[in-house]
Amino acid sequence: MNILWLALEGAWNVLWVGMLLGAGLPAIFAMGIRAMSYGVGADADATDHVPHPAAKAVAYLCFGIVILAVVTGIGVIVAHGLGAELVFDGLVPRFVTG
Amino acid sequence: MPPELIVLALVVIVALVFDFTNGFHDTGNAMATSIATGALRPKVAVALSAVLNLVGAFLSVEVAITVTNSVVNIQDSSGAPRPELIADGGFSLLLIILAGLVGAIVWNLITWLFSLPSSSSHALFGGLIGATLAGLGPAGVKWVGDGTKLDGVVGKVILPALMSPAIAIAIAAVGTWLVFRITRNVAERYRESGFRWGQIGSASLVSLAHGTNDAQKTMGVITLALIAAGEWTDLEAVPFWVKLLCALAIALGTYIGGWRIIRTLGKGLVEISSPQGMAAEASSAAVILTSSQLGFALSTTHVATGSILGSGVGKKGATVNWGIAGRMVVAWLITLPSAGIVGAVVWFIGNAIGGIAGALVVTAILIVAAGVMYARSRATRVGSHNVNDEWVEQTTDRRLGNREETKA
Repeated sequence: MNILWLALEGAWNVLWVGMLLGAGLPAIFAMGIRAMSYGVGADADATDHVPHPAAKAVAYLCFGIVILAVVTGIGVIVAHGLGAELVFDGLVPRFVTG
Repeated sequence: MPPELIVLALVVIVALVFDFTNGFHDTGNAMATSIATGALRPKVAVALSAVLNLVGAFLSVEVAITVTNSVVNIQDSSGAPRPELIADGGFSLLLIILAGLVGAIVWNLITWLFSLPSSSSHALFGGLIGATLAGLGPAGVKWVGDGTKLDGVVGKVILPALMSPAIAIAIAAVGTWLVFRITRNVAERYRESGFRWGQIGSASLVSLAHGTNDAQKTMGVITLALIAAGEWTDLEAVPFWVKLLCALAIALGTYIGGWRIIRTLGKGLVEISSPQGMAAEASSAAVILTSSQLGFALSTTHVATGSILGSGVGKKGATVNWGIAGRMVVAWLITLPSAGIVGAVVWFIGNAIGGIAGALVVTAILIVAAGVMYARSRATRVGSHNVNDEWVEQTTDRRLGNREETKA
């Protein structure tokens, strides 16, 4: 039964990390899109709508977080492939050959 | 030319063919949602995915030759083939690998013909397990490992396969629900165009991850064959030409596009909108990358299908075609044993004939089977021209649509 326990443990880890990244990042992206459309309703014809400058800043912040996360994700793949590891000292990512 | 080298050449070619089927079988995992929502034109989507698979395959320089070690006992822990299997110039081991690959390819083609996304890694492992069982008996297969880590057929293949679709469904459902909740008062202009970009980005990430994970399996198998035949000795590295050919084979397969499977994933399960597509691909990318980091082996196909189902579960008013989903689950359950049976039968035939003629007959069986299935596929062609046509169930004539649209 040990192996079943190990599998459940692995699945649990994948579930919560995956939930954070896989559902959290789309949610942040969605907030960015909501900010862009600040001031127009769902039914309004939005063709001549110009996003509010402050809302635009919020939107770009949201998109920035998502892009940063994706770039980090690619960094992890590359590092993994090259036998290195991506570690974070505080918030600055750094490659470590291991 | 010594006979072992001819058999080795057959193994290399057949392995590359498997890599090619792996590519076209899995194009849909990354690109089906982007194609279905029109975020990318079909041809552009498969081209983008092919390039990213090519790049991804080159990124996977990790030692790949122990890839079969988790399920079969044909190598020792360092990756070297067991000495008794290569005593005859590597012939016994080469025949097992060849038969296993034929089992994997035949099953991949059958599921493609029936438009069912099934796991290429399960097909590969299944084929190898079957051929090993036939060649070495039950002791040749590693069923559960030693219990200290996730290993063996149960730990590396069966348990993750049962759990990964559920994980993907949950994450994609939560993601979809959040996205629709947050953007419920957003004008359509921003919603559609914004999420298209998100969708393309997340699908690209899935393609890249696919290249790194899957091309590496074929590289491992080819390198193992080279070692068995005494043509390569380094257990720490894969020859560059192997890497290059595997990367090209999986990219070419991806570019050819498994349109039948793309159609099933994109149109058959859920009527997908851009926000759902993004949530589904983000969930797939997150699960695949997280699990490969944590050493939890799972199939891209199971994750991608689970994510797409989840995006239907999470959207209010969306219809999920559970009938198709059920057929897929059946295909998943029988992939491993079916590829195994083909691999075993082919091994018995090859072994009974023996020698180089046996290997040639095994390859001929593959060519005939592939030809028959290709000919049958021509009767109902699916390509970039009709991949997005409305989905109509063949047996019941039922149309899958969005419930809200049907009401309106």
